[in-house]
Amino acid sequence: MKAVLIVATVLISLVAAVAAQQPAPRPALAAVDPQFDRAAVDRGHEVLVSQCGFCHGSNARGGSSGPDLTRSELVQSDEGGKELSAFLRNGRPDKGMPSFDLPVDQVKDLATFLHAAIYLNANRRLYQVLDILVGDPNEGAKYFSGAGKCTTCHSTTGDLKGVGAKYDALTLQGKIMMPRGGRGEGPPKPAYMDKNAVRATVTLPTKQTVSGVLVRLTDFDVSLYDPDAKTLRSWLRNGDAPKIDVVDPLQGHIDMWTRWTDADMHNVTAYLAGLK
Amino acid sequence: MMAKNESRQPFATKSQRTRSLTNRSLYEEGFVRLRDLRVFVASLSAVVALLLACSGVLVAQAPLEPASLLKMPTDSWPTYHGDYSGRRYSTLTQINSENVKNLALAWVYRLNASQALAIIGGEGPDVPPAAANGFGPPTIKATPLMVNGVLYFSSPDHVWAVDARTGRELWHYFWKTRGGIHIGNRGVGMYGNWIYFLTPDNYFVSLDAATGRERWHHEIANVKREYFSTSAPIIIGKQVLIGVGGDSLDVPGYLESRDPESGLVIWRWYSTPRVGQPGAETWPNAESMNNGGGMPWLPGTYDPDLNLYYIGTGNPQPVLSGKGREGDNLWTCSIVALNPDTGKLVWHYQVSPHDTHDWDAAQTPVLIDGVIDGKPRKLLAQANRNGHFFVLDRTNGKHILTTTHTDSVNWTKGLNANGQPIPNPAKEASIPGVLVSPDTNGATNWPPPSFNPDTGLFYVGTSQSFSLFYLTDTDDRPEGWAAAERGVGNLGRALKAIDYKTGKVKWSRPLAIGAGAGGGPMGLLSTAGKLLFGNDGGGNFVAYDPATGKPLWHAGLGVNTSNGPETYMLDGRQYVVVGAGDTLYAFALPR
Repeated sequence: MKAVLIVATVLISLVAAVAAQQPAPRPALAAVDPQFDRAAVDRGHEVLVSQCGFCHGSNARGGSSGPDLTRSELVQSDEGGKELSAFLRNGRPDKGMPSFDLPVDQVKDLATFLHAAIYLNANRRLYQVLDILVGDPNEGAKYFSGAGKCTTCHSTTGDLKGVGAKYDALTLQGKIMMPRGGRGEGPPKPAYMDKNAVRATVTLPTKQTVSGVLVRLTDFDVSLYDPDAKTLRSWLRNGDAPKIDVVDPLQGHIDMWTRWTDADMHNVTAYLAGLK
Repeated sequence: MMAKNESRQPFATKSQRTRSLTNRSLYEEGFVRLRDLRVFVASLSAVVALLLACSGVLVAQAPLEPASLLKMPTDSWPTYHGDYSGRRYSTLTQINSENVKNLALAWVYRLNASQALAIIGGEGPDVPPAAANGFGPPTIKATPLMVNGVLYFSSPDHVWAVDARTGRELWHYFWKTRGGIHIGNRGVGMYGNWIYFLTPDNYFVSLDAATGRERWHHEIANVKREYFSTSAPIIIGKQVLIGVGGDSLDVPGYLESRDPESGLVIWRWYSTPRVGQPGAETWPNAESMNNGGGMPWLPGTYDPDLNLYYIGTGNPQPVLSGKGREGDNLWTCSIVALNPDTGKLVWHYQVSPHDTHDWDAAQTPVLIDGVIDGKPRKLLAQANRNGHFFVLDRTNGKHILTTTHTDSVNWTKGLNANGQPIPNPAKEASIPGVLVSPDTNGATNWPPPSFNPDTGLFYVGTSQSFSLFYLTDTDDRPEGWAAAERGVGNLGRALKAIDYKTGKVKWSRPLAIGAGAGGGPMGLLSTAGKLLFGNDGGGNFVAYDPATGKPLWHAGLGVNTSNGPETYMLDGRQYVVVGAGDTLYAFALPR
């Protein structure tokens, strides 16, 4: 029994040690950009770890004695391993960089790995948001029905029933902040077709009023969409005439932007994400 | 850095494709003679200019003298801001608050980006690399120079010369690019008969103003390191000052002085210190400061009496994470004064110590000769992207006041004794996200503000945006941006007038909402004719009363103005010229 425990402990330690040597997870390159051959990137990473990692780190961002390779001008300027290959043949002995006699294919793979890493650093639209569900769902529940006053409009057994199954955490947090917008099915619709669109009432000089969804309001013109008649109407403005009253059905959410603490926001996200 | 409110549009619009097709078919149908005609016209104007110059009658036809840039001329617009002060205030009064209601269109010039009749230069391939795509049709962000009756202006890879009386194109220069982010170009510089501009792939190019033919080009930064150049060259004496941009990778920022004849480097100033220099103590190590960014990507201002060139520097690198660069990170996000003869730093004031939100300090440092506590003072004012308004003594960089120009800012723990905002570490990007105002676009941005000495008011377009900032790179040494941003919304955009003596907002005019609305930050111009030209955020070009913000006149251009408006007198007629998207408009009073 004791032996089994020891073996298990050793195994777990081994697994942990192996895991610790793994580089930080990278986004699936092949999925985001076809210019990098995923297999070459993986092979290049193996070359890095076995040949360069000791000095330059297992993610090429520099190590105990070698500089960051992804910030290196030589690497950034390299094309397909050509410049890198020339450099490796001689090294830089005066700075402690030995020469490396690597097969051409390995240098090419190494270059592919480095260029892919640089590409991922430089293209922030490809950055992957990590696990954002760190809040306390119980605190979130309290805030939801307490200080946050969310129950003024919402109910977790009504409109928000199962909301945690409907959206991923990142989308959900975004919708808590601002429910308007986002892409639905089919071709994009004008913003005023959103069910939460801003509404307005125009009071004409004749005292007649026209209400509808606000399309646009400037100092010089105003446009409304009448959802019943399905028509657009517009008027020119001169000073404050005609009078316009604007109501945003999401004013409650907008007012929250200056009130949320980030912890309350994380807690409410965790709470709603749990409503599967 | 860089103005992210500058939208990336996927592809050329249908109308644009149609237009270039039309140009091509014209070309194919035998209109090739147009090119000859243009050369003939250009030669003819050169001959006429020469004759006039020889006759000695028209001084205005002489080459541009750098000394003429010292004060705001009325018969030309010879440098990015019209003069060195950055005030964008003109003494012209022909168009004024009484008659502005009659202001009418004089001409329109729609950007011709076709290569068919262009003078072609550049080092790039015939088919532009992918990096150069994704920014849609060219947009006018440049403030055109107007010298001797000709407007000179640019967009990424293009320079045009247009007759300032008629809006007719005189020549078009096209640069074949090697890549680089094509987000915008602020304009050209001029020295004598020579035009200077920068390209997205980081070339410093000089053209002959009369013909548009290239004199030479020099590479100023490595496009493979994600540098890209957008600034307008500024001429001081016999020097051309140019700054580089780019913050996708962690590279050093610098400003260069180059010789207007040879194009070679006179000096280079790095916007972060090297080891051993004062300021190095604000970085943890050489690695961080040598890769620390600080791009001086907009033109600066100049005080000829003090012989100081003022420029705002860009944000530090990595952009949205402060890990690995603990400290204030001088001289990023700073207003700096340099001696243009030597390129040496004379003083600095950092408006965002240890920035982690992309709020560079590149916005125009406006020079104000004002009165503080009853004493005449040489001042410098900046409405910053971080939501604050700063006034400094420009002789020595000493702090005078700091206020908040945009109410929504939520990232500081107040101001320190030197008037610098103290960043709240809790508002730096985290894995589960933090809600920050303003967003990375900032509470204002690159579009040039205006200061009007008649009202004592500083005018600026503002935005109260909110975003969530998510840390994505958890390495001890993050790189690039290191965090992702998700937009939340906006509490409202406004045109504001700030009293430079108190820093308080005197009036605030909310901008348009809904379809076709956007912006906030906007190019502005004020005049002695009691007018302030700007936009309404909803596609209208507007003349406001500078004292109250009341609109006095407007023209519906369909899209918001996209550059700084300018004005000049030509043949006794005052013109106001502004760019909106791909079109340049000139307005004047009916004759």
